[in-house]
Amino acid sequence: MKPSPFPTIFSITEDEIDLNTLLDKITLTSTGAAAIFTGMVRGKTSRTGKAQGIKYAPHETTYLEYEAYKPMAEEKMLQVAKEIREKWGVVEGIAIVQRIGKLYPRTPTVLIACTASHRDTGVFEAARYGIDRLKEIVPVWKKEIMPDGEEWVEGEYIPTEK
Amino acid sequence: MNKINILFFATMRTRAKRSSLELEIKSDTNVAELKEIITAKIPALEASLHHTLVSINREYAFDEDIIPENAEIALFPPVSGG
Repeated sequence: MKPSPFPTIFSITEDEIDLNTLLDKITLTSTGAAAIFTGMVRGKTSRTGKAQGIKYAPHETTYLEYEAYKPMAEEKMLQVAKEIREKWGVVEGIAIVQRIGKLYPRTPTVLIACTASHRDTGVFEAARYGIDRLKEIVPVWKKEIMPDGEEWVEGEYIPTEK
Repeated sequence: MNKINILFFATMRTRAKRSSLELEIKSDTNVAELKEIITAKIPALEASLHHTLVSINREYAFDEDIIPENAEIALFPPVSGG
């Protein structure tokens, strides 16, 4: 496969996620659209539901503590970016960043952004695919610290290939 | 013999009460056999090993995969990033 001429930014970091800097790095002169997903720590969960295989009821979160297997996580982010490019050849720049460490409510924890020439190119779907895949294969875990205890959050996706 | 390094993350690290383990194993050991060797060394991991993910040199690995020389192995639960 010949290397893509388009920028791919990926990192596991303890630093604050800087959207403007990332966006600048994935914006080309041909770029006219960016789809950005960012997730943040929820301080108050008000609905019952299921996330990453774990059933949850309404509760409060004091903070989340994220841990990563950094070298593998960065390799898997690169794999996610490669999969996005295979599915959406129109995507120009890709940025994937996971923040780790102790993160408090309202703090952005993850960001995925894809750029393209226009918004109707599939760029929204590409970013959606990126966050879904990150949550499946990038080795990062979080421990939830609540007012009355703490618990590791475990996902449910079992990879079937390298 | 093959000298390998095993890394533990998240719940596996908590249960093992350590973040890594160096082991010498026979050269044709596969992942399933390695899990048994680890359980014998760290019995606290036995209950969680059936749903543990394994990587070899930063790629996901499966029971029948043979552990290469000087491999970096990691054991961890299904991921929960984002």
